[in-house]
Amino acid sequence: MATREAGKKMIMLKSPDGMEFEVEEAVAMESQTIRKMIEDDCADTAILIPNINSKILSRVIEYCNKHVPTTGATGAAASDTVAPAALAEDLKIWDAEFIKVNRATRFNLIQAASYLNIKGLLDLTSQTTIDTISDNSLEEIRSFLSTKNDYLPEEEQTIRRENQWAFQ
Amino acid sequence: MSDMLPPAAAPPLDDENLLTEILLRLPPLPSSLPRASLVCKRWRSLTSDPAFARRFRLHHRRNPPLLGYFHGVFDGLPFEPVRFEPTLEAPNRVPPGRLSLQLDSNLRVLGCRHGLVLILDWPQLLVWDPFAGHQHRLAYPPGFDPDKSNGAVLRSAAGAGEVHFQFQVVVSDYYETCVYSSETGAWGSLISTPTPSGNSPDSDTRVRELQLWKRKTGFDGVASWEMGRTVELGKLFSMDSHDFLTIQGYAQDNNLVFLWTGRSVFMVKLEPFQCEKLLDTNKWDRYYPFETVYATVPRFVFWLPRCRNWLLQCGFINFLYLTVHVKINGLCCMHGQLGSGIVGLIINC
Repeated sequence: MATREAGKKMIMLKSPDGMEFEVEEAVAMESQTIRKMIEDDCADTAILIPNINSKILSRVIEYCNKHVPTTGATGAAASDTVAPAALAEDLKIWDAEFIKVNRATRFNLIQAASYLNIKGLLDLTSQTTIDTISDNSLEEIRSFLSTKNDYLPEEEQTIRRENQWAFQ
Repeated sequence: MSDMLPPAAAPPLDDENLLTEILLRLPPLPSSLPRASLVCKRWRSLTSDPAFARRFRLHHRRNPPLLGYFHGVFDGLPFEPVRFEPTLEAPNRVPPGRLSLQLDSNLRVLGCRHGLVLILDWPQLLVWDPFAGHQHRLAYPPGFDPDKSNGAVLRSAAGAGEVHFQFQVVVSDYYETCVYSSETGAWGSLISTPTPSGNSPDSDTRVRELQLWKRKTGFDGVASWEMGRTVELGKLFSMDSHDFLTIQGYAQDNNLVFLWTGRSVFMVKLEPFQCEKLLDTNKWDRYYPFETVYATVPRFVFWLPRCRNWLLQCGFINFLYLTVHVKINGLCCMHGQLGSGIVGLIINC
């Protein structure tokens, strides 16, 4: 239910496994998908977030809580006293800790970030995935991502020949 | 509640949109996409999609790598191609042949920016996008002498992210400047060339020290220039008293300049300050750094399973290649456009 608590508008998010999370509207609106629902007035009751289980949804809310801009009536003091560069550095360190999760959780977070349209979280999760694999050999990438090499040897040779310089 | 559950979502790497999101974040280096395309056919089909190439360039538009440089002046031999020299190490060393341009005329590069090359092909200017393959010709603005003026090209806001071929060309001499916009297709009116106050126009032709100026915008929105640090280059490059420095070109996203001492060309990164010798030459030339995200529309490959294919490789002049699989009986399938500039046909069986 949309309620008011200490002057902040609250909103209820529900996961498909039945858990409910009451969050500030500003935090929920870090998700562009939810923002649109609220702005279109489709969200006066609780919002069901399909596909995202409570474990992942709670992590997503944790991320949004940290990343919601601290400007406005209540947060103005915080952003006035901390330099933006220091704030950004602090967020970076926090992000690095936040994303120390196993592969399955990270993939679930990517799905959630994409569905809820949270650009920062999508950046963080996708970039971490790419950083994990980009220095590895093709075989290592395939095994990490459980992807099968479906090229015939001659097809692989052809592709290598096209851009021989890129495989030196 | 559980009966409201939609079917389980596909894992992210099976979901085309999510895989695209992940692959977009590959480093913007030339070898990234060719290497990714070798993981499996699905990755290849994703990364060779022209729409993906556009998004990849857009995603990395703020940090394009310096691929190398274009030579500005040539030996005077007739019809010499525009030459590119890679500076990245393998496997990101784009072969010069992929970025050269041969025309039946004498060409001179005037500058590069935002992945575009501005070429003087007197009496015309040619704007060339080496990766997308676009070329646009326009007349040199009337009243300007190409020997006493200079030109620059930049992508206009409408072409941001190197997605659209929209650009502006600036031609300037000591007194007047003229701007061409591809959107209007015309040169604008003449404006007087701004000269930095306190400096005569030629004061930078014999610099021995590098002054770094920063552009600051105040709270009132008014921009001003503020001098930062000064670097004594004469000592750094062990220059003699008769040597002098020429600024050859600069790469704004990589924040670096090319400087020629009369004997060597140096690549000088401004922040943090770093200096690297590119080459030794006492020949008068120009060297224009070329920074861009290498994401060409790759050659098309059509796999035709269950039949033996012949592979035709048709090399277009310069950079655009098309690979087509045809059936041995020749019935199938010259997919794609074969342009006018085919230079060779190689058949591999």
